[in-house]
Amino acid sequence: MSDKKKTHRLYDKTGDPTQDRPWIFRTYAGHTNVRASNALYRENLAKGQTGLSIALDLPTQCGYSSDDPIARPEIGKVGVPINSLDDFAVLFDQIPIEQMNTSITINGTAMWLLSLYVALAEERGVDVSKLSGTTQNDLIKEYLARGTYIFPPEDSMRLIVDMYEYSLHHIPFWNASNICSYHLQEAGATPVQELAFALVTAITILDAIKARNCFSEDEFERCVGRISFFVNAGIRFVEEVCKMRAFCEMWDEITQERYGVKDPKYRLFRYGVQVNSLGLTAEQPENNAWRIILETLGVTLSRKARCRALQLPAWNEALSLPRPWDQQWSLRIQQILAYETDLLEYPDIFDGSHVIESKVSDLKAQAYTEIHKVLEMGGGVEAVRNGYMKSALVASQSERMARLASGEQIVVGKNKWSEGLESPLVRDSDGGIFMVDAGAAQQTLDALAETRRKRDPAAVEACLARLTNDARGGVNLMEASIACAKARVTTGEWSAALRGVFGEYRPPTGVEGQRMEMVSESVGAVRQKVDNFIRRFGYRPRIVVGKPGLDGHSNGAEMIAVAARHAGFDVIYFGIRLSAVEIVQSALEENVDIIGVSLLSGSHNEIIAQLFEELDRQGARDAIPVILGGIIPEPDYPGLKAQGVKRIFTPKDFDPMLVMSEIMDIILASKVG
Amino acid sequence: MATQGNDIAALIGQASAHQKWPLARLISLVERNLPDAREQRDQIMQVLSAREPLDDCNGLVVGVTGTPGAGKSSLISEVCQVLLGRDSSCTIAVLAIDPSSEDSGGALLGDRTRMQLPVNEPRIFFRSQASARDLGGVGPQTFQVVRLLRQLFDYVIIETVGIGQSEVEVRQLSDHTLLVMQPLAGDQVQFLKAGIMEIPDAFVVNKCDEEALAQKSLHMLQSSLKLTHLALDQRKPARRLVFMTSAMRKRGIDELAAHLVGLHNDTGSRRDRKAQEDYHLRKWIRQEYGRYGIRVYEQRVLPLRQSDNAGIASSYEAREAQFIQAMEALISRL
Repeated sequence: MSDKKKTHRLYDKTGDPTQDRPWIFRTYAGHTNVRASNALYRENLAKGQTGLSIALDLPTQCGYSSDDPIARPEIGKVGVPINSLDDFAVLFDQIPIEQMNTSITINGTAMWLLSLYVALAEERGVDVSKLSGTTQNDLIKEYLARGTYIFPPEDSMRLIVDMYEYSLHHIPFWNASNICSYHLQEAGATPVQELAFALVTAITILDAIKARNCFSEDEFERCVGRISFFVNAGIRFVEEVCKMRAFCEMWDEITQERYGVKDPKYRLFRYGVQVNSLGLTAEQPENNAWRIILETLGVTLSRKARCRALQLPAWNEALSLPRPWDQQWSLRIQQILAYETDLLEYPDIFDGSHVIESKVSDLKAQAYTEIHKVLEMGGGVEAVRNGYMKSALVASQSERMARLASGEQIVVGKNKWSEGLESPLVRDSDGGIFMVDAGAAQQTLDALAETRRKRDPAAVEACLARLTNDARGGVNLMEASIACAKARVTTGEWSAALRGVFGEYRPPTGVEGQRMEMVSESVGAVRQKVDNFIRRFGYRPRIVVGKPGLDGHSNGAEMIAVAARHAGFDVIYFGIRLSAVEIVQSALEENVDIIGVSLLSGSHNEIIAQLFEELDRQGARDAIPVILGGIIPEPDYPGLKAQGVKRIFTPKDFDPMLVMSEIMDIILASKVG
Repeated sequence: MATQGNDIAALIGQASAHQKWPLARLISLVERNLPDAREQRDQIMQVLSAREPLDDCNGLVVGVTGTPGAGKSSLISEVCQVLLGRDSSCTIAVLAIDPSSEDSGGALLGDRTRMQLPVNEPRIFFRSQASARDLGGVGPQTFQVVRLLRQLFDYVIIETVGIGQSEVEVRQLSDHTLLVMQPLAGDQVQFLKAGIMEIPDAFVVNKCDEEALAQKSLHMLQSSLKLTHLALDQRKPARRLVFMTSAMRKRGIDELAAHLVGLHNDTGSRRDRKAQEDYHLRKWIRQEYGRYGIRVYEQRVLPLRQSDNAGIASSYEAREAQFIQAMEALISRL
């Protein structure tokens, strides 16, 4: 048999024809509270999902307990709230964690969540060395794109290295961090930037681990083997295939040349994927289903560069958070691709293609140039501090916006063929979107109160004191954190103790010094409006742009800030994670003509209410108009407008100059009365 | 919508009590550039100077300059927190200036993202201002706003754009100027050696997060100051005018704050207000009549050239001569 092997077939070790096992199917899930999420996970597992991907709510990600005032509007909105080990016990109720591959999307408080997971296993009597999964824990991309960082870069790197050190010795199948290029693409990164910045992040982490000198040579090699990645796949799927092949080759080269890893299996580029959400449209949202399929091809077609795990967004993500049915529909795409098609029967179908080879080497060369540039300026942490990477991303994003607005980049149903029949999918009784049950937050708060009541306060105090001491003393913080978890310390308490030692960090915003290269009729028209305004009122229109709440996805706010300057506004850019009170104060001190806030976490109703309450308190309610941008479900429009929001901009408003023009009209109407 | 005299008096009353919005609106009034703005500004300044008691109305104006990236905003934020904490009656206004775009004229004013100041605290007021394409690192209206703020606050801290001839301009606005630099900022030392840069009243080497680097920078700065015989304030030893700070590690902030308190309490530390006013009046004349000249050129010289078919391509000297003719014709009519 073996002498007649065919090039187009796959054979196993004994020479028999075989086919690949599919990747791990995941659905990023979690919402409302631990009970609802537990039910959802068990449902998904029953449907054939083979791994868990835990979505946590923003307070948990940013290190606040649910009863913190800043947490209230966000409880259970974009994920499940976790306050203590008691919550974790419910979340994983009847789920055998020793058999699960669990991916936790957590960064600023990654160490805390891993400690909870280990503590849960220990309390259940499970052998912790059997635990497998991933904590996302890539802080560099948080500073660049996602915004749920807490501590300064050096201290964050230390926590990451602590987790690698602990994991390698105690939970060898755990990926202590998962280096993300996913969010970089969502923030506008080009394929070259994605390759370069993700690999720089990996190098930064490995350099830090090496500097600690806590592993033998053999252990370090295994540790390199634990580095895994989380990648994005866009609609240009041929280029994405090439990007993935470039990733694999570059990682093999870097681990060999920079770190001397001898065993090829520790040089493998292991990665999971969530395909692109940025390109999904709110217009004709049913088209997104096809986009998701095509994006999936980019990370599955090439066997050599195939993903290990895949999660797909839902067709209606640009409208709101997906419902269980929407997620099920996406899971079906994966199942059809893996089990109905012949994809898994072949060796790599691109081997020997000159076209692919040439494209890959081109991407690699450009990415290496960029990597060397960043390493020369001092590495990933320095390129966060000096704003280099952030500015590069904001620049790419504003170029993308300009291409969309000019029609140079076609998006079907958005800037081309936008006329069409209405989709029956969005005409369901609930408008085709998922609403979080507002009352469910109370259950979370009650459970937290119950935990606080039942625990031993002296033990809590002692554990927190040890955590603080270890943090000051440079001791690995995993043991102290696991002890905290068992003593029922809360998420907010753990984070506050470390905030007290490390402080809180605010990275560069990347918007300053940006130029928008956009020349169009709409630019001329809005600048004319601005000039008329200046002539009439004797000053340039002023806008404050900021993000209230804990949601750190700042792309939208950054783009509006850059676009407003391009239109001729004086823009006060205030960044992310602001309270309603801070935004109102900035608007008053700067005497702005309009307030622009951006919200994507689904907590707009609560936060807008807080904002108007504060405007009221300051006697400025009707004097300064407020506009809102973000992913806002249409059923919420009337309520928001009744509160006083003048206009709601969504991803449908993709020409930034038309947005600015409307903003000018709102300002004029408000000034003239 | 012109604001009437009574409204102005009311605004000033509220602004004197450090109410944020009335003060902000008052600032907008003095920043405004319309025909009736001068008259209104005059009203405001008169009401202000008529207030009692007058001895409280002499805030110390501190200009903070230095290249972008030197950490001016975070440093100011830390110093303000120390000043507020030292004295429960202390009031501070921060005026942060950012560059305007040459292309659109708009500006991104992002200094707020780097400030961690208390919220709803009447003792501290923060305002952003665009440079409006003024090359001096401050805006054309900065002086007017400073005139207002120094009558209402103990300290007025101006953060300049940090590029261009900031040091020259900011001296004409402030009583004391600080040049913030990063450790071992070689470029700035080169500037000092060449004697190009106007001399600040004090140096701050910021981002001294690490001791060895900080000491090295201090020695480098001191030796280059000695080398060039730069006359700092001769009454004080040079080392008292070089501050080593780290906003991140909260290092050296107390010393810098104490330095400012000392200056604030010393009435002799105020620069001559009349001389500053004169400087700014001259600057205003230069700019205003420079703009007037451009209008004359555009309206009376360019059309002339086009009509006799020579167009803008005719010789530079010919255009210059025609401009002088046009101006003289206008001036003789006066």
